[in-house]
Amino acid sequence: MGNSPADFSQLASDAILYNPSDLACWVDSLLTEFAEPPPTCSSDFIVDPVNNQTVVNSAWTAAEPHTPQVHQNITYDEQQSLDNQLTVVTAMEEDSGIRLVHMLMTCAECVQSGDLSLATSLIDDMQGLLTHVNTVCGIGKVAGHFIDALSRRIFQGMGGGSVNGGSAFENEILYHHFYEACPYLKFAHFTANQAILEAFDGHDCVHVVDFNLMHGLQWPALIQALALRPGGPPLLRLTGIGPPSPDGRDSLREIGLRLAELARSVNVRFAFRGVAASRLEDVKPWMLQVNPKEAVAVNSIMQLHRLLGCEQTRDSPIDTVLSWIRGLNPKIMTVVEQEANHNQPGFLDRFTEALYYYSTMFDSLEACRIQPEKALAEIYIQREIGNVVSCEGSARVERHEPLAKWRRRLSGAGFRALRLGSNAFKQASMLLTLFSAEGYSVEENEGCLSLGWHSSPLIAASAWQAVPAWDNHMSSS
Amino acid sequence: MVEERYQEGALEINEKKRTKFFINDHEDIVVKILKRLDARSLGVAACVCRLWCSVARNDSLWEHLCFRHVSPPPSGSRPVVIALGGYRRLYMAVLSRLGRASTIVTTAAAAAPWTSDEFQLSLSLFCVDCYERLNDGVDGTNGGDNVVKPHRRRRRR
Repeated sequence: MGNSPADFSQLASDAILYNPSDLACWVDSLLTEFAEPPPTCSSDFIVDPVNNQTVVNSAWTAAEPHTPQVHQNITYDEQQSLDNQLTVVTAMEEDSGIRLVHMLMTCAECVQSGDLSLATSLIDDMQGLLTHVNTVCGIGKVAGHFIDALSRRIFQGMGGGSVNGGSAFENEILYHHFYEACPYLKFAHFTANQAILEAFDGHDCVHVVDFNLMHGLQWPALIQALALRPGGPPLLRLTGIGPPSPDGRDSLREIGLRLAELARSVNVRFAFRGVAASRLEDVKPWMLQVNPKEAVAVNSIMQLHRLLGCEQTRDSPIDTVLSWIRGLNPKIMTVVEQEANHNQPGFLDRFTEALYYYSTMFDSLEACRIQPEKALAEIYIQREIGNVVSCEGSARVERHEPLAKWRRRLSGAGFRALRLGSNAFKQASMLLTLFSAEGYSVEENEGCLSLGWHSSPLIAASAWQAVPAWDNHMSSS
Repeated sequence: MVEERYQEGALEINEKKRTKFFINDHEDIVVKILKRLDARSLGVAACVCRLWCSVARNDSLWEHLCFRHVSPPPSGSRPVVIALGGYRRLYMAVLSRLGRASTIVTTAAAAAPWTSDEFQLSLSLFCVDCYERLNDGVDGTNGGDNVVKPHRRRRRR
């Protein structure tokens, strides 16, 4: 394995070096050049996956070795350890990677058209091909997950198998590690908290409804911010919705107790209520016990898309839930959703979108250094992939829709958008500098914020308020 | 007349005519000196002897360190920080990562002053960190008061 510039030049004659970290661009370029052979690179790249810096070598054909220009200041010791992590890919691996993507697309097409025998043989071929590709990182890893999901779809039918069968406890653990490994959830929590904090300004009794409590990681920061707000903290009530615990433990109540302890230590009057429901559509507004005098905030982190059942009837779950949210007249509703189009009716379109989206996400996860957080975060994402690809009907809950669609849907249901404001943007940018590798970017888009990897947005946060007198408008139209 | 410091047990000169100056007899001077150090040096200083250790662990020193570069220090945050575990813990859990993650060199002299907004965000992150330790304490082997629990060791970059 070449560890110094001189060694690299020796490999030059039989190596095509590509950028294993910039999966998304590479997959994209492959998908748009289906029939053509990939163009030969005029300049070759070695990518340092540690910092996603591209080290460009020009003209390998020159007789004397070229020293790679390293576009960062690093010490000699660091360079030694970085070199150990550089991935040098042979021509055969590059070919295998391309073939894998082509075969994945073909297989998905077969599945869509119902040609399951061809799909099955493609699965076998792909699994054989996987042995030639590095599955620790890059396209091999993502492809592996997609191959699994496709084979589950073909062999187990579309009931979902065990993809969504993980227990609530497991899901919480995976979610927690996903929170630690990459900034998407932190961005979601902090942006929503900032919007809620601003909406609660001037109110003494406030009530937050959290559609998915998990470990309650979002709320300590809000409690602390309320403790420090000028004018003193309000009385904070938190209603957390979560799945019921099977073994008799009341996990919602335990989380509530811990949050209460934290609130007590910073002198914030706090009350907690847990609502155990396995599906969000089973929750009825009376369970939340909202007091008409208090200011209400509804917080939905990646929950609304689960309500988008396949049939768009008049009383679909999403409409029911949105209408009772309106009935609560919340000061603010914070909505964070994946910025992806994974709810298209055609399977091939969905598959293509998912391949691109999750390649980008795995790309960004490469920057994470801490274990076991990284491994468990990957399992978390893997489960999402499995649900998007191998499930149908009511089993498919990961029905992500892009922000534009949510805007239309929420505006049509009687909500108007609230601009998130410059404080939220500043905070998001600061969060990124604190925690993350370069490559993440925050963008503002008509008052909504999105976090992405190399300018592909992956998660979008928005805030909404109920339009008053909407019911009058609806009945008169 | 030059005051001379003596190491313990290394007295060579006739003491009768000279006044001994031993730094550890003057805790207030030790405090004044250690107040000027950066975090890493404070940690090293804590290893010198018991007195220096107790001075270096004093939370007010760390409060001074935290706010050295913030202008102005946010009001009202002290009771919250104390309740969550103190300034030393805040520094170790969150603020030390500020220097490492960014390209700013970590020595005190070269550190750029960070803003009140950054401090507020750090405080929020500290709060989440304390909450997570609360969870660990209940599920793990350490029970009881989270203030006295040692900081959870996690492998980081």
